[in-house]
Amino acid sequence: MLINDSAKQAIHALASQRMRSFLTALGIAVGIAAVVLLTSIGEGIHKFVLSEFTQFGTNLIAVTPGKTTTVGMSGAVISNVRPLSIDDALALGRIPKILGVVPFVQGNASTEFGKHGRRTYVFGVGPEAPKVWQMKVAMGRFLPDDDPRASRAFAVLGDKVMRELFGIVNPLGRRIRIGGRRFRVIGVMESKGQMLGFDLDDAVYIPTARALAMFDRESLMEIDLLYAATGRLTKIVKKVRSLLMDRHGTEDFTITTQEQMLDVLGSVLDILTMAVGALGGISLLVGGVGILTIMTISVNERKAEIGLLRAIGARRGQILTLFIGEAVVLSGIGGFAGLMIGAGGAWILGGIVPALPTHTSWQYVVLAETLAVLIGLLAGVLPAHRAASLNPIEALRAE
Amino acid sequence: MKIQDVIQFSVKALSGYTIRTFLMILAMAIGVASVILLTAMGEGARVFVTREFSSLGTYILIVLPGRSETTGGPPPLLGETPRELTLEDVLFLARSSVIRRVAPITVGSAPVSWKHREREVTILGSTETLFDIRQLSMAQGSFLPAGDPTRGSGVCVLGYKLKKEIFGNQSPLGEWVRIGDRRFRIIGVLAKKGQSLGLDMGDVAIVPVASAQALFNTSGLFRVLVQANGRNAVQKAKKTILSEIRKRHEGEDDVTVITQDALLSTFDRILLAMTLSVAGIAAISLSVAGILIMNVMLIAVSQRTTEVGLLRAVGATSSQIHRIFLAESAILSLIGAAFGIILAFLGTWGISRGYPDFPVTVPAWALGAAVFVALLTGLIFGVLPAKRAARLDPVQALSRR
Repeated sequence: MLINDSAKQAIHALASQRMRSFLTALGIAVGIAAVVLLTSIGEGIHKFVLSEFTQFGTNLIAVTPGKTTTVGMSGAVISNVRPLSIDDALALGRIPKILGVVPFVQGNASTEFGKHGRRTYVFGVGPEAPKVWQMKVAMGRFLPDDDPRASRAFAVLGDKVMRELFGIVNPLGRRIRIGGRRFRVIGVMESKGQMLGFDLDDAVYIPTARALAMFDRESLMEIDLLYAATGRLTKIVKKVRSLLMDRHGTEDFTITTQEQMLDVLGSVLDILTMAVGALGGISLLVGGVGILTIMTISVNERKAEIGLLRAIGARRGQILTLFIGEAVVLSGIGGFAGLMIGAGGAWILGGIVPALPTHTSWQYVVLAETLAVLIGLLAGVLPAHRAASLNPIEALRAE
Repeated sequence: MKIQDVIQFSVKALSGYTIRTFLMILAMAIGVASVILLTAMGEGARVFVTREFSSLGTYILIVLPGRSETTGGPPPLLGETPRELTLEDVLFLARSSVIRRVAPITVGSAPVSWKHREREVTILGSTETLFDIRQLSMAQGSFLPAGDPTRGSGVCVLGYKLKKEIFGNQSPLGEWVRIGDRRFRIIGVLAKKGQSLGLDMGDVAIVPVASAQALFNTSGLFRVLVQANGRNAVQKAKKTILSEIRKRHEGEDDVTVITQDALLSTFDRILLAMTLSVAGIAAISLSVAGILIMNVMLIAVSQRTTEVGLLRAVGATSSQIHRIFLAESAILSLIGAAFGIILAFLGTWGISRGYPDFPVTVPAWALGAAVFVALLTGLIFGVLPAKRAARLDPVQALSRR
């Protein structure tokens, strides 16, 4: 018997029991569809979160005060005895291959213009913030390159703050009060949207020194560094560390690279996607049990046929191939249908709910399809083995 | 035909085909077990979080400096404000009748050193009230003494882990440690309590709030924990805090008050939604099991055509035939559900053996729901085969022999 014939025989056998084959394949299809759909959603969320994080660029290094061994917030960001100063930031900026540096301090204060007032985030930043964080100025300009220790009282507004305080009035050149101090508006940022719940448009940007004075602080909360894409990360991190060690005497700071963060985040999200896929896989398992059941029944019913085949000279191996082939064809068809349903469902879901991004990853599709065929194979082995080991004489007598 | 007869008849029919029945029950059991197990794990996570929150103490309100305009968003957890929340504000709040205790908190990080050993840890500045509000317990010595909170004395309490790292097995009581550039005498060690909402209470040093403020050269507070007089007083306390602080801060609303209940219910909602969706995903496998039951029942109907014909010939009505086949699929799914429940309990037992800290409990509603859904799938997917069996013409069915 040629492979061709085996395949024909298997398909013919399946076609003659249309309802049964359809339902068996449907079981597998539901399982595969669940896996594909769920992993699509997982992958979509993965992409979404990563893009949220990379909107500030990928070549970033963050230096925070306090030495932390575990990931998480150290109390040192709030207050500490070994401050990270603006001078530290300036020194870091002089390292070769460092393109920009932002000494950063964050707070919350009310911003007032005329009778309008609004409590907003206040970001104390340096003039290089747009370059480092990849932000754009919509109107006017960003903070000028003043002496960082004695900057002029200029402020740049976030998009939302501008709209709430000024409406349609042009804010450029106006005087506002932030936390009771007077600032002159010199620019408005382009809308950047939410980032993980934080509304970046609901913020005002003022020079770091002014923010430190306003909040009566000594230490920065963070120094963000932008390094050249051509530079070697490990080398730059080493330089940053040794420079700060020279200045502070001990290692009382933490260096986090964006790459590290993305790696950690990516692996967490991968695990999540996989876990969700595995949940969908339970259905696949049940579908596999379905194939096993149906094939067992089918072998029982077709004893006579098997006997006949054996009587006219079919070998055991051929019978085995025949029945395993049937199971694989069943699961393959089911898998393909499930793939269509799952990918289509993901596509439709992405269309209906734009907030929930979906992305069907080929890797998982191939994995799911392979799994379906594998399940068919496994589920087919036992009944096929049974069919092959039938005694032809006994089998024929069953007629 | 009585119900007992119907059941007896179906059970006999099912036990006639052992392998097939076993496989169907297996499929159903996998589905039911996964639904119950996942729900139990979700429930466990919920209980875990609730326990974490109650370790914070009861009737707690958290006051943070700063306020963001958009409600519903994240509160300004971190960040500075031009007007700080001061110790005087706290002492003022403590006078209110709806407030039982107030604990100011300043947080910072500084190296703690003794002899040649040094460790950089989180320093908490607070008062003796923190002990009751956070429901701490001591392993050795005593907590910060009561007294005027605006006067900082040079005493400190170490967390369990910090003590272990610096002193090993020696008793640290009475020893002097250097925190930052100041000296403190150790008067107590906290009992092991583990993580609590992200802050590891084992790896901290607690000093009087005024000493911490001097150490970090600040006058503001990071948080204020307020304990209300009782459940009913929580909302009143929130209002009081807001209005009193506004008065003291020249009419400006610049603090955020978070009640523990609000925090807890947010987490509760998120975790419940997660549990339900995970269980829902697992429930897809129940529908696959249902499809299998339908499939096999359809085969059974065509295999048992003669039997059905005979039954009709001896006087069974078509609705009785209908009932017999429905009963079969219902019994199948019920037995499957029973095995699933056993499997699930085995699973939870295994998990609780492996992770004793994580409370996995099978919620009663999940059991009920799983059995109900299993039965429902059996009935729904049993309808088509039962209908087909009932529709058989007795004469034709018998003549097929």
